[in-house]
Amino acid sequence: MEAASLNEVALQEPSLEVDRTDRRVELLLGALASTILLLIAGMIIFVLVKALPSFTHNGLAWFGAGGSVDEQLMDIFNSPAEPDQYVYHLRAWPLLYATALITGVAVFISVVFSVLAGIFIVEFAPVRLRKVIEPVVKLLAAVPSVIYGLIGILVVVPFVAHHLISEGRKESVAYVIQLDGTSILVGIFILTVMICPIMIAIIVDALRSVPDKWVEGAAALGVNRWRAMRTVSLRAIRPAIVAALVLATARALGEAIMLSMVAGSVGFAPNPLDGLTFFLEPARPLASTIVDNSEGLSVAPFGQTMYAFAAILLVSSAFLSFAGWAARKSFSRYTLGAR
Amino acid sequence: MTRSKFSVVWLLAALVALVVVPASASAKPTITLSGSTSVAPLATLWAQKYVKACKGCVKFKLLQGGSDVGIADVSRGRVTIGMSSRDPKPSDAGGIVFNRVAKDAICLATNKANPLSNLDQNAVQSIFSGSVRSWNQVPGAKQSGTIDLFVRTPASGTQDAFQKIFMGDAKVFSGASQKASNGLVQQSIKRDKAGIGYLSEAFTKGLSVASYKGVPCNLRNAKSGQYGGVRSFYFVTRGKAKGAAAKWIRWVRNNKAALRIAAREWVPFK
Repeated sequence: MEAASLNEVALQEPSLEVDRTDRRVELLLGALASTILLLIAGMIIFVLVKALPSFTHNGLAWFGAGGSVDEQLMDIFNSPAEPDQYVYHLRAWPLLYATALITGVAVFISVVFSVLAGIFIVEFAPVRLRKVIEPVVKLLAAVPSVIYGLIGILVVVPFVAHHLISEGRKESVAYVIQLDGTSILVGIFILTVMICPIMIAIIVDALRSVPDKWVEGAAALGVNRWRAMRTVSLRAIRPAIVAALVLATARALGEAIMLSMVAGSVGFAPNPLDGLTFFLEPARPLASTIVDNSEGLSVAPFGQTMYAFAAILLVSSAFLSFAGWAARKSFSRYTLGAR
Repeated sequence: MTRSKFSVVWLLAALVALVVVPASASAKPTITLSGSTSVAPLATLWAQKYVKACKGCVKFKLLQGGSDVGIADVSRGRVTIGMSSRDPKPSDAGGIVFNRVAKDAICLATNKANPLSNLDQNAVQSIFSGSVRSWNQVPGAKQSGTIDLFVRTPASGTQDAFQKIFMGDAKVFSGASQKASNGLVQQSIKRDKAGIGYLSEAFTKGLSVASYKGVPCNLRNAKSGQYGGVRSFYFVTRGKAKGAAAKWIRWVRNNKAALRIAAREWVPFK
């Protein structure tokens, strides 16, 4: 009897020990994770509180159009020193419009391009080429945006100014806006180049994880490679495409330095009615506005206006993650790796 | 239940560790500054050098705003020194003293391919307000076609001074390309034959600098006071500067190292 109970104890003890270590690690990691949650919550509350005066003074008109947004920013910056005379008047539409336009178009082009490129790399590319392309794509995904900005302003912007903008086109809008090469065209182009590698990397990994059997099954039914890709693999990786979309959009939304350098940095809403000139007109998204005006952050009403821009960015990225989660969930029944 | 309790304890411990980093009080005199964003970079450099030179004899606290914020703060006694990049106005509160500490020249610059000999205030206003949009209408210009304007972002001190010295009540053309720094304006004019902009004298290398009201824009003319596009940087005090602040202002105006710092991008006091 005694021997048996000793045995039992000896058997149990190590497992207890393991359990305790596990618990400790669990608690430590749990604490860290909740600290991050707390930080995020704190940040959101802080930004919203700081942003509040700008929103309450303008109401819903904050989101509307009216007047030159840059002149309004200047007036806010030059507010009198007395808090009750602070100027808050702002109509942020050109900035919101620029953010949505540049991000939307760049992400749309990137999705199409990245899916096609991903299929090529996984299914059609010769092995040697694949061995070169993949590391290059991953390297490109990690290049800091300011480098893209430099290339943009030193190479792409002068090219556009000299070859795509004629004197006649410049004159046609001279009294409204200045065409000097910095434009939404260059902004969208470089942003696309920036976010494509991220999307391609995610999509390639996802395509790899589609079980061979599924594609082989399709092939056995007499379907060609392209069609098997389209009907089987692509459907299976829809959640990964959504994930890539969310990540790329988030990066595009937050892109500040590069766009401030190449997109013109004018609080102007490009007019689609101008035809092709539309693409050569400058604009400035929210994130760039914050970066460009950081000199004046300590002027109270001006800083609060910048916080309002930050709040819009925060809310839209939160909304974006939520939409991505919802989309992945709706795909989850038929797809792979979804949870 | 216990698990979540434990993580809460961890969390509290972490927070307490963060909060309980006591700010040790010291007997050192503190000079507080607030005001102009264009003076602030120079004041920061001076403060750093001064703290090093006198081995931490004084502490600095610097807040930025507009020149008006600095002047209002100092007249109410909220700070020791208000930084101002504008001249005294009759509407300023009484009893404050403007101590000039440096000057800054703002030049009008064009591309090397399109040198302008001279611009008067009228020409500057009509070009930068957007009422003249073609080089054909600017006398003496070699370039033809549309003018490309490069200006600074609203919060920039250079923009503020340009508006006050050159533009008066005229507004800068809202379609002009805004740049976040002097360097970007310089780069943009360099690559654009139709470009014109304004920037600090220190950044005019590689550009053609126009005379303003017949006086060439350079440090010498700025120092002598002949060049009109000069603004002064002031340290504003309430009454005559006293104690540590007076010592520092004297150092800023007379010390060789301080003058060298000012000469990097600005026109020194001496």
